[in-house]
Amino acid sequence: MKWKMGAVLFAISAALVLMLYKAFGTDPHAVPFMMEGKPAPTFRLKRLGSQETLSLAQLKGRPFVLNFWATWCGPCEEEQPILDWGAQTFKDRVEFFGVLFEDTEENTKGWFTTPPVYAQLIDPKSQVAVDYGVAGVPETYFVDAEGNIRNKFVGPIDQQTLASRINALTRPAATAEARP
Amino acid sequence: MIWGSLVAAALVLGAYAPQQAGSEPLAPVQEARVQALGKQLRCAVCQGLSITDSPASMARAQLDKVRALVADGQSDAEIESYFVARYGEWVLLSPPRHGLNWLVWLGPALLILVGIGFIGRVLLRPPPVAAPPSRLPERPADADPYLAAIREELK
Repeated sequence: MKWKMGAVLFAISAALVLMLYKAFGTDPHAVPFMMEGKPAPTFRLKRLGSQETLSLAQLKGRPFVLNFWATWCGPCEEEQPILDWGAQTFKDRVEFFGVLFEDTEENTKGWFTTPPVYAQLIDPKSQVAVDYGVAGVPETYFVDAEGNIRNKFVGPIDQQTLASRINALTRPAATAEARP
Repeated sequence: MIWGSLVAAALVLGAYAPQQAGSEPLAPVQEARVQALGKQLRCAVCQGLSITDSPASMARAQLDKVRALVADGQSDAEIESYFVARYGEWVLLSPPRHGLNWLVWLGPALLILVGIGFIGRVLLRPPPVAAPPSRLPERPADADPYLAAIREELK
């Protein structure tokens, strides 16, 4: 009878250890990114400082970079020069767009020390951000010419990462997967 | 004092300008659904808080999305699927009942049952019957050769 009790306790302990192992093996704050490789959700957003809108359909056949940011986000300010550099350096290969997240057009006045190098869009109620699976700002999405999300970068991006992601983005999907 | 002045200056200068406001609540019945669904969805930038309970901008954006989907006539299951498709099962505050997740649901109950069983066994076990003090059989005095030797010397 004693061995049965021991076996039950052992089984429960093993299950608990397995659970703890699984839990400790992952970062509980890391939000999974489920949109990788999926078609970019459609959008139609108003451009900052203008009444014009931009839709995903207008970008068909062209790879683009979508950066979600806000004026209240310190790291967004930090990465702005790098995105400007990227937009200028790779202007023949990809288009850059900034998407204002949980913020107002009013707040952007005076935020840019120099006129924005690439188009800025406003996402009312941040609906597009949630459609893309944004989990905070800044986040930078890389969408290929087929309209699929290749990947995203969480946090302020650096020059090297931006360049390598754009190089991968402008390669055909199969080649990019073979050489990540 | 310095920090207070800095914060006050920042507020005046607009460094902490108000962010975007959340969307307007729906009709009471629909809004109750929004709040109930929001209680089941984890805020992406918080530590274990639901999007209903969190004051974070991210949570407000997600709750606004729930509101838009409810207003759009989507069912609870469809709205849950929408969030799982973007943030994985991580976004659900109650883990779905399948696979290893069953351990989370059944583990505590199982542990309590095992504990009750163990305590019950201990409490219901009849007290051990006190054994009568064992009486050593009397041995003849000369059975011990050392005692016999001592006695012989004392003679």
